[in-house]
Amino acid sequence: MQAARADNVVMEFESGGDRIRVLHGVSLDIPFGAITFLVGPSGSGKTTMLSILSGTLSPTEGAVEVMGERLDRMSDAALVRFRRRRIGFIFQQYNLIGTLTAGENAAIPLIADGVPAAQAVQRAEAALARLGLADHVRKFPRQLSGGQQQRVAIARALVHEPALIVCDEPTAALDAEAGQGVMRLLEEAAKSADRAVLVVTHDDRIYRFADRILSIEDGRIVSPPASSSEDQRHAH
Amino acid sequence: MLGIALKMLMGDRVKYLGLALGIGFATLLMTQQTSIFIGLLTWGANPVLDVREAQVWVMDPRVRQADQPEAISDQALYRVRSVDGVAWAAPYYRGPSTLRSADGALAAVTLIGLDNQSLIGLPPSGRAAAAEAIRGRNAIIVDRNTARLIFSDGRDPVGQTAEINDNRVTIAGETRALTAFAGLPIVYMKYTDAISVTPPERNKLSYVLVGARAGVSPEELAARIEAATGLRAQTRSQFARAGVDYIINNTGIPLSFGIAIGLGVVVAVVITALTLAMFITENLKNFGALKAIGVTNGQILQMVMGQAWLVGFIGYGLGIGGTAAFIYFGRSDPSLQGFSLHWQVVAGAAVLVFAIVTASAFFSVRRVLKMDPAIVFRG
Repeated sequence: MQAARADNVVMEFESGGDRIRVLHGVSLDIPFGAITFLVGPSGSGKTTMLSILSGTLSPTEGAVEVMGERLDRMSDAALVRFRRRRIGFIFQQYNLIGTLTAGENAAIPLIADGVPAAQAVQRAEAALARLGLADHVRKFPRQLSGGQQQRVAIARALVHEPALIVCDEPTAALDAEAGQGVMRLLEEAAKSADRAVLVVTHDDRIYRFADRILSIEDGRIVSPPASSSEDQRHAH
Repeated sequence: MLGIALKMLMGDRVKYLGLALGIGFATLLMTQQTSIFIGLLTWGANPVLDVREAQVWVMDPRVRQADQPEAISDQALYRVRSVDGVAWAAPYYRGPSTLRSADGALAAVTLIGLDNQSLIGLPPSGRAAAAEAIRGRNAIIVDRNTARLIFSDGRDPVGQTAEINDNRVTIAGETRALTAFAGLPIVYMKYTDAISVTPPERNKLSYVLVGARAGVSPEELAARIEAATGLRAQTRSQFARAGVDYIINNTGIPLSFGIAIGLGVVVAVVITALTLAMFITENLKNFGALKAIGVTNGQILQMVMGQAWLVGFIGYGLGIGGTAAFIYFGRSDPSLQGFSLHWQVVAGAAVLVFAIVTASAFFSVRRVLKMDPAIVFRG
């Protein structure tokens, strides 16, 4: 079983009375135990594809399956529950809440799922410690560097032990060294046989961390999954 | 998630304090102005409420409120006394007059003439001493609350001589009357003395005060008196209400206070709605991230409502506290006599503030509820 599958996914948006098609029948697989990169120029549809695979956007047509469950057939409530329990999110701008400590920020998925706050923060602080932030759990985001903030975001994405981690330009706001550090953590997270990591990026400095690279242009996959082999790893 | 919401709000101190102080100011404006308004309306009823013994007031049919009497014939007193169900009836004079103090200062006053024997209408405060003092020839009793308007230098007025309409009188004692809307100093005399010091007129009797015999209701007695005398007879509560209605119908007070209270509501709505909307707009990406992560719309609604209710509660407490302090510290000022913070005002303001913050929060959060969580991935 693949961690995620998209089959002939079409996505159209309304714009000024016109319907604009941004994905033209995209099919792809995301395997377990690997980091899959989805790359392409701006406006190619990679962020839309990431949104669909993470269950934050419903496709106009096509089937989307994550961990064997059809997202395109789920109710909104089931989709929210699925995202909360099975998917971890890492955003380009970290999206940490400035008035919460690192521990509290990382605990949000657990608290949202009904875990008592004290217990959730304890688990989040343990996750932060595993990512090397043991001394920073009580700090607020403004007291942390960009790399440290992204590590807090990684802790938030991992704390509830999701099966699929989706990352939107996770290194775009970081310098090279911090970006490499973040990618090493994601590489570590992807080693688990029951977890997959999907990264949308156009930061070619980190391509060497990819197990598979899927290239998308004008809403179409231009390099099929099969061509993005292990050989591409470390190619950059 | 409520704890997270409250930390989000309290961490943004400018907005948190702005919201709490804004709602506090609006609550203060609403409750303080309402309390003053109710106090002023009560002043319209006080000339009647201050005469505790009278169950029915008999008057000329043209009278609209207690401070504007139309004189009736002295015979009216005897005709009223002859009505079945009347236990007692006493004359009562109430009218404007002028008083010149010993140092020559002239002041407009409300002169009240009380039945010589019963002194019905004398306020209960210090009644025994005042009743003793008023019995002397041309003796007057002054209201302590308003005496400062005559004796502004703070001298003790008791024992001084004065003139009412060029008639020499002696200030024999003090009492404490309920504040009347007219705001003039109140001076009490025996009825016959009051009649003698006022300018000659064919009729001078302002009102006949009546007590009902046991088993006869004031309403029934009033109807009997009207039927028998052709005069108007109103129960104490009806006539007190007429004083309130007079202020409502004939002054700009309801409009001006209505505007002030309305401004309080507008301030509360504008501050709450704008600040909450601003807070949510600034946190839109964070709310988007929370939605993507799996926070439900119900949880987000709970978060925003929790934030709004907390600042609403704190602001309301500040406002009510401010009004209570205003009334507490103002009670020694005679011009604020009779003002109080009624529980209905406290409860009404609570309901209004709750409704305003709830509606403001709901309208602000609608944008988040409708928001596509995928927005967090867009630039």
